Amino acid sequence: MCGIIGYAGFRDARTVLLDSLKRLDYRGYDSAGVAIIDKKLKVYKEVGEIANVEKKIPLLKGTTGIGHTRWATHGGVTKENAHPHLSCDKKIAIVHNGIIENFSTLKEDLKKKGHKFISQTDTEVIAHLIDELYKGNLEDAVAATVKKIQGSYSIVAISQDEPGKVVGIRKESPLVIGVGDSENFLGSDITAFLKYTNRVMFLNDGELCVITPDAIRVYDKNKKMIKKKEDLITWDIKDAEKSGFPHFMLKEIYDQPDTVHHVLRGRISEIEETITFPDRVEKLLSPEIASIHIVACGTSFYAGMIGKYLIEQHTNIPVFTELASEYRYFGTRNESSLVIAITQSGETADTLAALREAQMSGCKTLVVTNVIGSTATRISDGYILQQSGPEIGVAATKTFTSQIIVLFLIALKIALRQKMLGSDELYNNIFHLKELPRHVRDVLQRSNDIIAVAKHLKDAKSVFFIGRGINYPLSLEGALKLKEISYIHAEGFAAGELKHGPFALLTKETPVVAIVTKDETYEKILANIGEIKARGSKVIAIAEDKDTEIENHADYVLRFPAGSHVLPCIPITVVLQLLAYHVAHLRKCPIDKPRNLAKSVTVE
Amino acid sequence: MKCVILAAGEGNRMHPLTYTRPKVMLPIADKPILEWNLLNARAAGLKEYIFIVSYKSEMVREYFGNGKPWNVKISYINQGKAMGTAHAIGTVEPFVNDFITLCGDTIFGASDIKKVAQKGTKIGLIQMDNATEYGIVELKGKHLIKISEKMEHPSSNVINAGIYHFNKKIFDFIRRTAKSPRGEFEITDSINKMVSKEPMEGVFLKEWRDVVYPWHLLDANEEILKKLKTKIQGTVEKNVTLKGIVVVGKDTVIRSGTYIEGPVVIGNNSKIGPNCYLRPFTTIGNHCHVGNACEVKNSIIMDHSNVPHLNYVGDSIIGQHCNLGAGTTVANLKLDKNNIAVVLNGKKIDSKRRKLGMVMGDNVQTGINSIINVGTMIGNDVFIGPGGFAKNELKPFSRIL
Repeated sequence: MCGIIGYAGFRDARTVLLDSLKRLDYRGYDSAGVAIIDKKLKVYKEVGEIANVEKKIPLLKGTTGIGHTRWATHGGVTKENAHPHLSCDKKIAIVHNGIIENFSTLKEDLKKKGHKFISQTDTEVIAHLIDELYKGNLEDAVAATVKKIQGSYSIVAISQDEPGKVVGIRKESPLVIGVGDSENFLGSDITAFLKYTNRVMFLNDGELCVITPDAIRVYDKNKKMIKKKEDLITWDIKDAEKSGFPHFMLKEIYDQPDTVHHVLRGRISEIEETITFPDRVEKLLSPEIASIHIVACGTSFYAGMIGKYLIEQHTNIPVFTELASEYRYFGTRNESSLVIAITQSGETADTLAALREAQMSGCKTLVVTNVIGSTATRISDGYILQQSGPEIGVAATKTFTSQIIVLFLIALKIALRQKMLGSDELYNNIFHLKELPRHVRDVLQRSNDIIAVAKHLKDAKSVFFIGRGINYPLSLEGALKLKEISYIHAEGFAAGELKHGPFALLTKETPVVAIVTKDETYEKILANIGEIKARGSKVIAIAEDKDTEIENHADYVLRFPAGSHVLPCIPITVVLQLLAYHVAHLRKCPIDKPRNLAKSVTVE
Repeated sequence: MKCVILAAGEGNRMHPLTYTRPKVMLPIADKPILEWNLLNARAAGLKEYIFIVSYKSEMVREYFGNGKPWNVKISYINQGKAMGTAHAIGTVEPFVNDFITLCGDTIFGASDIKKVAQKGTKIGLIQMDNATEYGIVELKGKHLIKISEKMEHPSSNVINAGIYHFNKKIFDFIRRTAKSPRGEFEITDSINKMVSKEPMEGVFLKEWRDVVYPWHLLDANEEILKKLKTKIQGTVEKNVTLKGIVVVGKDTVIRSGTYIEGPVVIGNNSKIGPNCYLRPFTTIGNHCHVGNACEVKNSIIMDHSNVPHLNYVGDSIIGQHCNLGAGTTVANLKLDKNNIAVVLNGKKIDSKRRKLGMVMGDNVQTGINSIINVGTMIGNDVFIGPGGFAKNELKPFSRIL
């Protein structure tokens, strides 16, 4: 969750580092800092905004440096605890993402040897350890250092005595090399340096790399030089910018007609009436799977719950959804079951741990992710890319809808293999899937209706979201979106469960958002709305265009296009996202960076 | 002396063709604009190049590599975010001393590049009748006094062509250049600062081809095609008529009954005919197919695209990997014979052409008997269904059903 950048090149490092830190700030941070070799090693760090650091740095000529945005784990949010951290002689600077488990014993040892510590962080021991082991060659010192530390880390280091050289190493924490011309980069993710290059090399656990302006060297654990493949990132910097929208979240909501199209591209064919995945994935989706376990966290987990409904509806395979942080320690493992892990970033620590756990128990693993080359794609048996482009807003939007579509395609693919889906039905499904971008666009064009309703929600203390069937996980997601960005307490419920408890919380001041679709649950949800109305609460219904009946039941109706026969949950999600966004906007919340949250949670 | 070629721009005004490629990679007579510049600069004796890239830089890199096939040395600098010409040139400071800089999206002639490369700082100039669209240059004798922004009533007819010979001093002035009103760091501002202290000689150019809007490619294409020589490398079957300049690439087959009026260029591995009619100033790429009963006139068809049966394509550009359905026809002349107006990026523009068909981005498919109106701009990956009628501007990925 901390952001890291390292640079060795010809441009002035100050500009490059500050620029990259600003791009990484979507991850959420509480302090930031940079270290630049400008003859001597110079360090600037501050609590709060990156602009605070920027104000402090004079114009420097140095072209080598490292930078960091910190999201506190060990030690409070102070200037001392911000990275980079230094050795005693202030010649070596490092930045670190992850947790050093044995830091207190190391710290005691180092103190005995005369090292002086100025922060409460676990990171500072790395700086002193490198210093202790430094014999004129930084990469050797770093390699020796990681032998002594336990935990997860990506570390990037520079030394005043070796200007023009940046050393990085990773274990269970992301680090990517950006390959430039007469310059090279290290970053905790690609957005850090995408402005300057879209050529990357992915490091594996335990690999150490040395970058200089003209060379990149990568070594394995045994210090053997290895040759790395260069990958090309196809999204460009524009995808990672706001393009005129006030917030990344809104931009990403409006990206959805495209992302919904992109996730389908190359995977469905009307003409051949088939669904195609890469070979490795096709192998995993065998009709003989005994069961499927979907593991994920947060929004991805809700996508997984929707996936459960979709897969069980189309196939006869039972699906279990598990929170990744729980599955790690509990839950059943079965060698003939398939574990599907959903993680936008591919770096979510809990989900990665669950994946490793599943593999150790002999399960086949499939990952649904948005980031090619991420750790999840490398440790799983197969992966499906969402192709959504980078998502910067902390609240997941476009990646959620893409995840649902991927899971739907998985359901259709298995159903085809199980002969539970005829070609007419498949054609029908594909035809309607292709209509989805249009339905999404349709919802986006009605945002004024949503703003009008948002005004009624903005002063609520608490909001309920209800739905039945597949709309139940959808109401969970609707509630999550609202709470994470508007700070209004919100809960999602299966509509039938209200009277088994939650009703006790319902007052006249609790608006209820009800998702109403014309399916077998329609009559029942109308009855639930009646029960809520009887208690004097306002009801906001989300219903399809042709449903006129609903107007007799709900106080306000938000519409999605009729004819969304396949996956009406996609346009409904967009309604929920816009509702949460506009409520938060009216309440003047920091939408792209909600308090205490980080985009990709790389600590457990 | 190194030659720095500015190749970073996206070229919004070149949509829909630049949705999927950088402007410098637009092909004219089967070669990207940048390659024409490279060939001409090489003919002028320049051997070392720095390409400043950014937008879809991988396409430039993949095509040119390190320059070995051209016997030159090419290195690259990624500009990062395009922040103007001064910013772009500023990035090469550590790598050059005395150097030539030219805009990669304008074609310069070899003898002109040679002149600019002679000793001393220089700026390339062009005389133009209607100079409203360009930066106007004021001279005193041979020397440059000032470059002004484009103006409605130009004070002279001499414009800045976009080719310069600089020495290391320019970087001092680039550092002192502020953002222009349109929010970019412009090299013309840096030059204006420099010329009061460091004289810069104006050099009038003979050859110069600027492409701003997609249909300008047709003009540039015409100009280059006229200068080519007939060369047939592929197979020409019996009963084919070839008139004027005709270039046919390797492994291309011209089938019986085809009638070609040059200048026409056809790339490698393409299939032409039987029984089709190719008219002057047509360029057909590699792996293309123009089939039975098709007529193509004054058009550019890029690689892997098909004009397969019963089609008319006139004064048009077709991107890569496109396929026209049987009977798809393109209108290229208004019934009132007036100039054709085009909607590009949502704005209406006078193309100043009486004849203009369509500009089609990459990966477009049309259904049978679809009709495309004059001046239609079709984005990449568009679908036009059977019997569809396309007009004005179609955004990428849109569908007409």
